[in-house]
Amino acid sequence: MAFEPKILSFFCHWCCYAAADSAGVARYQYPPNNRVVRVMCTGRIDPRFIVEAFYVGADGVLVGG
Amino acid sequence: MEAGRSPNIEIITLAELKELSGKPGNFKAKLEVRPRYVDPTKCTACGMCTTYCPKEIVDEYNEGLDFTASIHIDYPQAVPTVYYIDEKSCLRLNHESCQLCANVCGPNAIEFDEKPEERELEVGAVVLAIGFGRVPEEVLERYGYGKYPDVLTSLEIERLTCASGPTEGEIVRPSDFAHPHRIAFLQCVGSRDETCGNGYCSTVCCMYAMKEASVVKEHAPEAEIDLFFMDIRTMGKGFDEAFNRAVEKYGFRTIYARVPKVEQVGRKLALTYVTEDGKTHRDFYDMVVLSVGLDAPADAERLADLLGIELNKFGFAATKTAAPLETNVPGIFVAGAFQGPKDIPESVVQAHGVAAECSELLAEARGQDVVHKEFPPEDVELEREEPRIGVFVCHCGVNIASVVDVEAVRDYAAKLPHVVLSENVMYSCSQDAQADLVKKIKEYRLNRIVIAACSPRTHEPLFQESLREAGLNPALIEMANIRDQCAWVHAEDPEAATKKAMDQVRMAVAKAARLEPLELQKVPVTPVALVIGGGAAGMSAALSVADQGYEVHLVEREEELGGNLRRVTGLLSGEDPQKILDDLIKRVQKHEKIKVHTGTTVENISGYVGNFTSTLRRPEGSEVVNHGVVIIATGGRENRPERFGLGENDRVLTQLDLEDELTRKGGRLSRARSIVMIQCVGSRGDGLNYCSKLCCQQAVKNALRIKKRYPKKDVYVLFRDMRTYGFSEDAYREARKAGVIFLRYQAEEKPELVTQGKSLRVKVKDALLGEELLLPCDLLVLSVGIAPGENEELSKLIKAPLTGDGFFLEAHVKLMPVELPVEGVYVCGLAHAPKPLDETLAQARAAAAKAVIPMAKGFVEVPPIVSRVDQAKCIGCGICADLCPYGAIRLVKVGKRKKAETITASCKGCGICASHCPVLAISMGGFTDEAILAQIEAFGEFVEKEAAEEPKEEAA
Amino acid sequence: MGKKKSGKVLVLGGGVTGVQTALDLASLGYYVYLVDKKASIGGVMAQLDKTFPTNDCSL
Repeated sequence: MAFEPKILSFFCHWCCYAAADSAGVARYQYPPNNRVVRVMCTGRIDPRFIVEAFYVGADGVLVGG
Repeated sequence: MEAGRSPNIEIITLAELKELSGKPGNFKAKLEVRPRYVDPTKCTACGMCTTYCPKEIVDEYNEGLDFTASIHIDYPQAVPTVYYIDEKSCLRLNHESCQLCANVCGPNAIEFDEKPEERELEVGAVVLAIGFGRVPEEVLERYGYGKYPDVLTSLEIERLTCASGPTEGEIVRPSDFAHPHRIAFLQCVGSRDETCGNGYCSTVCCMYAMKEASVVKEHAPEAEIDLFFMDIRTMGKGFDEAFNRAVEKYGFRTIYARVPKVEQVGRKLALTYVTEDGKTHRDFYDMVVLSVGLDAPADAERLADLLGIELNKFGFAATKTAAPLETNVPGIFVAGAFQGPKDIPESVVQAHGVAAECSELLAEARGQDVVHKEFPPEDVELEREEPRIGVFVCHCGVNIASVVDVEAVRDYAAKLPHVVLSENVMYSCSQDAQADLVKKIKEYRLNRIVIAACSPRTHEPLFQESLREAGLNPALIEMANIRDQCAWVHAEDPEAATKKAMDQVRMAVAKAARLEPLELQKVPVTPVALVIGGGAAGMSAALSVADQGYEVHLVEREEELGGNLRRVTGLLSGEDPQKILDDLIKRVQKHEKIKVHTGTTVENISGYVGNFTSTLRRPEGSEVVNHGVVIIATGGRENRPERFGLGENDRVLTQLDLEDELTRKGGRLSRARSIVMIQCVGSRGDGLNYCSKLCCQQAVKNALRIKKRYPKKDVYVLFRDMRTYGFSEDAYREARKAGVIFLRYQAEEKPELVTQGKSLRVKVKDALLGEELLLPCDLLVLSVGIAPGENEELSKLIKAPLTGDGFFLEAHVKLMPVELPVEGVYVCGLAHAPKPLDETLAQARAAAAKAVIPMAKGFVEVPPIVSRVDQAKCIGCGICADLCPYGAIRLVKVGKRKKAETITASCKGCGICASHCPVLAISMGGFTDEAILAQIEAFGEFVEKEAAEEPKEEAA
Repeated sequence: MGKKKSGKVLVLGGGVTGVQTALDLASLGYYVYLVDKKASIGGVMAQLDKTFPTNDCSL
């Protein structure tokens, strides 16, 4: 079975989260491997969050901002 | 479409104005309201009626490209979200034969007996925002429209490219449903064409054609697209840049030619046209798109008769340059395309501006007739209980439900911890679904809500208001975005999309369980405005604010008010600009609410919306003023590039120099026999990167003034694109008739100045002859464009960004054209972008309207996502205060120690402070560590679940 | 002196201009009647798919 990475994404409300919405509006297709946590700014992201994500088993963490 | 939710906006559809009497401040209006045949209080917009209605009609919303039923709704998000019966086609209404819709309508909302009714309203002012009309089909028929199916209008293409349109976004030829390979866009259909009575330029078509061509290209990358222009008129802010980028990215071919007609040859459409070099071409296309102009609205003449307002010769509302939003009847205002063809940002500017006009007229009645929306007190006890979560999984029609198994998601959510109710909703944003949400909250005593639907960016405020109506704190909601970031982007993998939706819902539920009520912060507003800049824009904005009843400090750097307008001596409309200026100056100086500070600069601005403090500096000393809002109207300056000997040779002038010359008797102008004007000197990539929007009008205006005074003098205008948009196209035509000679030059082959003994000549390559011409030139007039003022310093002072070109950047190009990203700061006039006087004056009023809003409210509400410092934990290290990009954290003395404190009104909720606090003393409203960590933990279950499903071989 | 002025405004046309005017007037403290000939407000902008130059969704 092919490796399907599990990615946790932290998206900034103002840019990357908005961009992800725009991708939807434009019906861009991308693999369904990510799950999204919205934050008001990537500055909110405490390094603990990233460590925690890997701890619970994420294969990758995407910080989008 | 938040208009549907304001308690102070009553929407009356299917209605027409029949009578108006009275005077400004006290009008009586009579409306005729046609029947809808559906009771809006009962209709739930379920769509059963449309499904069963046997009468098919052409779908006008989809430009006749699709069918709908006689009982229908234009589009699912329509406001009001209520179906209606098309009187002309309904079988029951016309033949008494059918009543299927009434039979299937669950809530019994169908009312066949409804009759037209009359309503009488008392109002203080009337705004005409009736938009534009359609160019008659006969005009389109000249281009084969109606005869050849593959000739489409721009609005038809708009529906074809739309994902929810009749073809779901697929670009096909109506004749055979094949994908078109070669597409032509023909500009100026029904515009710049006296033969159809529309001698004006519709202003928007060049932009929308480029947009449509780009979207078509994205849907059908193999398509080759040619666009046929008379002139490329992309003069708005940033438009040239966007246009050039699109041409480069998509490889469009732009051709300067007016295509006279379209013929069908076999399965292709043939275009025969003559290019500027005089050569005839014949090309074949699979599809032709007509960029149809904006006509005067159909209702214009009826309203003109009814109200006594004047129309211009094209049937649009007649207005003056000095008062672009006023009709000739006091108390009746006009805005949007009815005032003249215009794009969305300009329409929004006028909408803001016209609101200011009404607000000036009715200042004494402000607040008198409004309804205050009262929310019930929060049910604090319920909020304190253990989480009782309600999950609502939205179908969004077919948007989500066609991909995600929404029933499975609902059932999955029902089993999650703390969830007491899990339901599906057809359109969770519809008004009836909102009412149902309120009901369910009360019925099931829900104290946390999860909406699995679209994006919180667009829809969270809507749901938050419903929570407040139900007595819940608006912070107790979390949205799972299963449309924009799930169903839409994983359309080909429904199974994976459903799994993702479940995971996002689980993460949302985990977060929801840890949400806490947050207090909505209200910050009082000082009812004083600071207007920076005493030119036409600043003075108009100041007057509007003052007439609306608020105090103004008007600051002008120079000793004299007036700015650039002081140098303008004529207007195309025939009005006297110096009289407009004198009126403004007199009114400003007389107004008891305006304090004028000339010879003054603004040295320091601190604070935030509602509470700014600024230092006004004059050579003899400075003054500190408090104010609630700021309007930037610092203007721009004439660009004076060192080209063609400008500044050295006294026979070389700018258009503004010429304006001065035109008021003199004798002088250089009277001696010159041949005058040459060159457009775009130092603009559009030659120094300045942008188009200054007004130079073409100015050149035409000055050329006409010369011709009027000295009919025998020769006037040449050398241009790249004549951008006399809107009604100034008329003047362009008039100038040609008066004998002004217009010659197009290429950006690569700029005109040159040649000295022959004592005389000057301008060398220019003529496209038609293909030869170089030497034009005699006794006076050379350069259209030099407008450079930004010294905006950098002010930009730093108020922390508002500039565009790459050095003008202030608005908060949203389309929908927030006068607001800056910094709250409480607004911009108008040349500080925003180059523009002609009428647009500056409209924008000044627009800025005034937006600036008065917080003052009229008396307070600003701050979304409760702000940071909060637990001062018991804070060690006063100050890292947060240093890092905060908004200056929203300060250190204060608490007892003997320094502690951090949030300035709530300035905080944007970014959370940089929280993530850097070494002792975890800062929590973010709605984004606490606990909530985010709970989401991460819930994400972990996705990993576990997947691992459990996978075969064990990897483990070995 | 004349009658007290009304604090209500009639806005004819429910397109982007009319809707924005109505919203601004409501925020400025006036009651608005937003009147349209059609069965729903939104005007032509509701028919547009995207807008120039940012190609944002227009709804």
